[in-house]
Amino acid sequence: MPGNIRSVSFAWMVLVYLLFCSRRASVGAAPICANAQAGCHVLSLANLFDRVIQHSARTHSISNDLHSEFEQYFLPSKNHIGRVSRNCHTSSILTPNGKDNAQRMAREELTEVILKLLVAWRDPLWHFHQNMAHHHDFNNFSSNKALEMSDMVHELRKGVEKVAEKMQVLGIISNTVSSLASPEASLPSDSAEWRLMKDYNLLSCFRRDSNKVQNYLKILKCRIVPEHGC
Amino acid sequence: MTVLSSSSNLLLLLLMSSLDWLSTPGSAFFMGRHRVMSPAPLEPHITDCISRDQATFQCWWSPGNFHNLSSPGALRLFYIKKDSPASEWKECPEYVHSNQECFFDNAHTSIWIPYCMQLRSQNNITYYNEEDCFTVENIVRPDPPVSLNWTLLNISPSGLNYDVMVNWEAPPSADVGAGWMRIEYEIQYKAINTTKWEALEMQPQTQQTIFGLHIGKEYEVHIRCRMQAFTKFGEFSDSIFIQVTEVPINEYTFPLTLVLVFGIVGILLLGMLIVISQQHRLMMILLPPVPAPKIKGIDPELLKKGKLDELNLILSGGGMGGLPTYATNFYQDEPCVEFIEVAVEDADTGEKEDNQGSDTQKLLDLSQPVSQHMNIGFSNVVSFPDDDSGRASCYDPDLPDQDTLLLMATLLPGQPEVGKRAMAAERGARPLVHTQTEGPQTWVNTDFYAQVSNVMPTGGVVLSPGQQLRIQESTSGAEEETQKKEKEHTGGEDSEEDKEKELQFQLLVVDCEGGRYAAEGNAWQIGGPHSAPMPGEGYQTIFPQPAETTPAATAEGSQSPYILPDSPQSQFFARVADYTVVQEVDSQHSLLLNPPPRQSPPPCLPQHPLKALPAMPVGYITPDLLGNLSP
Repeated sequence: MPGNIRSVSFAWMVLVYLLFCSRRASVGAAPICANAQAGCHVLSLANLFDRVIQHSARTHSISNDLHSEFEQYFLPSKNHIGRVSRNCHTSSILTPNGKDNAQRMAREELTEVILKLLVAWRDPLWHFHQNMAHHHDFNNFSSNKALEMSDMVHELRKGVEKVAEKMQVLGIISNTVSSLASPEASLPSDSAEWRLMKDYNLLSCFRRDSNKVQNYLKILKCRIVPEHGC
Repeated sequence: MTVLSSSSNLLLLLLMSSLDWLSTPGSAFFMGRHRVMSPAPLEPHITDCISRDQATFQCWWSPGNFHNLSSPGALRLFYIKKDSPASEWKECPEYVHSNQECFFDNAHTSIWIPYCMQLRSQNNITYYNEEDCFTVENIVRPDPPVSLNWTLLNISPSGLNYDVMVNWEAPPSADVGAGWMRIEYEIQYKAINTTKWEALEMQPQTQQTIFGLHIGKEYEVHIRCRMQAFTKFGEFSDSIFIQVTEVPINEYTFPLTLVLVFGIVGILLLGMLIVISQQHRLMMILLPPVPAPKIKGIDPELLKKGKLDELNLILSGGGMGGLPTYATNFYQDEPCVEFIEVAVEDADTGEKEDNQGSDTQKLLDLSQPVSQHMNIGFSNVVSFPDDDSGRASCYDPDLPDQDTLLLMATLLPGQPEVGKRAMAAERGARPLVHTQTEGPQTWVNTDFYAQVSNVMPTGGVVLSPGQQLRIQESTSGAEEETQKKEKEHTGGEDSEEDKEKELQFQLLVVDCEGGRYAAEGNAWQIGGPHSAPMPGEGYQTIFPQPAETTPAATAEGSQSPYILPDSPQSQFFARVADYTVVQEVDSQHSLLLNPPPRQSPPPCLPQHPLKALPAMPVGYITPDLLGNLSP
């Protein structure tokens, strides 16, 4: 009898764990049902866009907070944009630098750019968080923020991939975007450039890039599904 | 590796702090609020660069203390866009010399790319500060929102506070439609005579509610906005003024509520007054009094439980010589008292009550004088004597009980008016039958035997008219009893009265002592434990009085109707018309209608008095009963 109870409780725990993990994993990305299966909640493209835009806004907000905190505590009253910004590791990714440019860009290209950016930041943020955790001068609040930021970028990337899928299903964009999903296409993650970046530099770079992602997503949404809150 | 990074961080820190110390005072551009006013000569510098729509921007410069450079064209602005390592300095694309401003249009504006500004004079002196570098998204200050107005939401019930909904529109220069700029707004308000502004929470919607403004005060409201997740606010909009004066409607509602309150209180008071004044009536309607048993002339205390012996004593006349004829009225103050009257003729009778006599009166359908007496008695019976008993009943006294009348009608077929009266009358529960005292006096000397012509299945007897015979008190008692029982059953009287009546109208079928009636005490007792009469008991045997009545019996006087002055036998035989009851079968198997007196009276068994003779129909004896008749 105790063996039975133990096995049953173990099975329960496994179930709960699986449920919890699957729940946690699906926070950022909304599940898309390919054939409108039963029990699958079909989301519209506008909904998906809203979700990823909210996510990117949150990401940018966190990065901004961290950056200003960093600036306040470590480098007060200094403006080092001119000095450090050219060392961003994502500088090699070609991004539209203005509203007109972004609006003129093709949807597929824009989506590609977004995904490239998100892919590029996955590893550096993870290591940034590791650095922050080991530094005793950072409080737990900042460390948690760094972790959250890292997770959010991860989720955001998945979300944008889902959006791209949906757009491809709906025929809005061509199928050239899907090639980015493979890890070989990720650009500078294997380069050692980002390892040389300092924390502040990294933060300012990421702050800029998260703002880019947010803007691009919003432009994309207002081009494709402009009826909902543009 | 981490140690290395931390040490490099420290080095960087030291370097930067040293640089900060070496910084020139001209770099006031990005210092924010700490504008250093150094005594050193102020060289030309960039005062501010602002973008309104994140698509264009402007920069302003100042010549500083070098007033010779203040003329337009003396200073030239150069910028560099650091989007590639091979970028170079370019001159301002559009000068606005009146403002000492340089305007960068869409073509020359790139977001997320660092710009650096520098001023050059005519003689190629460069005034450049490393810190005058920025990216355009960081210098965005949106224009203030437009079309600010307010609407009244509600006023608090107390009439002192109110809520206001403020709404506006996004600045037209900010391209929120395309999603290029996401703006959040901040409302600030204050009362006009105060200095401190209250700021509401920043939010991206174009409307917001201000709660808790005071009636009568005037408020000033303005708004500003900024890009989400950025730090630089735009300018404040023009202020609007909000004021709500007192609402006069309260004056109308106040007297209305007052009137309502007073009205309700008045109605409540009136209701209470009515209830209190009509308390007794209400009590009578809601809880009518239940009449308790009251016997005229008997102290109501004796009617309580446990005082049966005294009651017996009084009723049998033993205590005070019987009940006084004119009994003291114990119930003077209760006008609606219904009495059970125990009729007592004289003090010395002490015998059976005269109710039986009056009841036999009822049973008889005699000749005229008798019927007259009967009528009298009957009428007396029917109309309750109000000689001394006051108001006899709360109910209609002129209408006798329907059931009683019916019974009388059946018993006395020669009394048509009884029937009429029976039909006419409709009574409720009748608690008692009144007796009267003078009836039996006149009646006792007349014939008191009547022949039973028929017996009803219910137990009542039908007397044949014109008979001189009187029924014995046993029969009358039986009839009486059945009648009473019927009345009792129909009337639904309580057990106490039942018991009383049983005592009064007790069957004495068994003539234990040879025609002599037992003493009053015994009489009652014998009849005490008496069960309900069976239908067969209606056919009581008639035991005529034996000839040799004891002198004592005769000495009892002519009051008792059960003592015949002369031999009853001859009378008996002379009067029997159709029926007679076989009393005994003697040894010669001849039927004896009048049994010889017994030598020894059989012990009086207090139980069933018909033990000696089984119930049989009148005038008939079945063969199997014949055997029982043998002595």
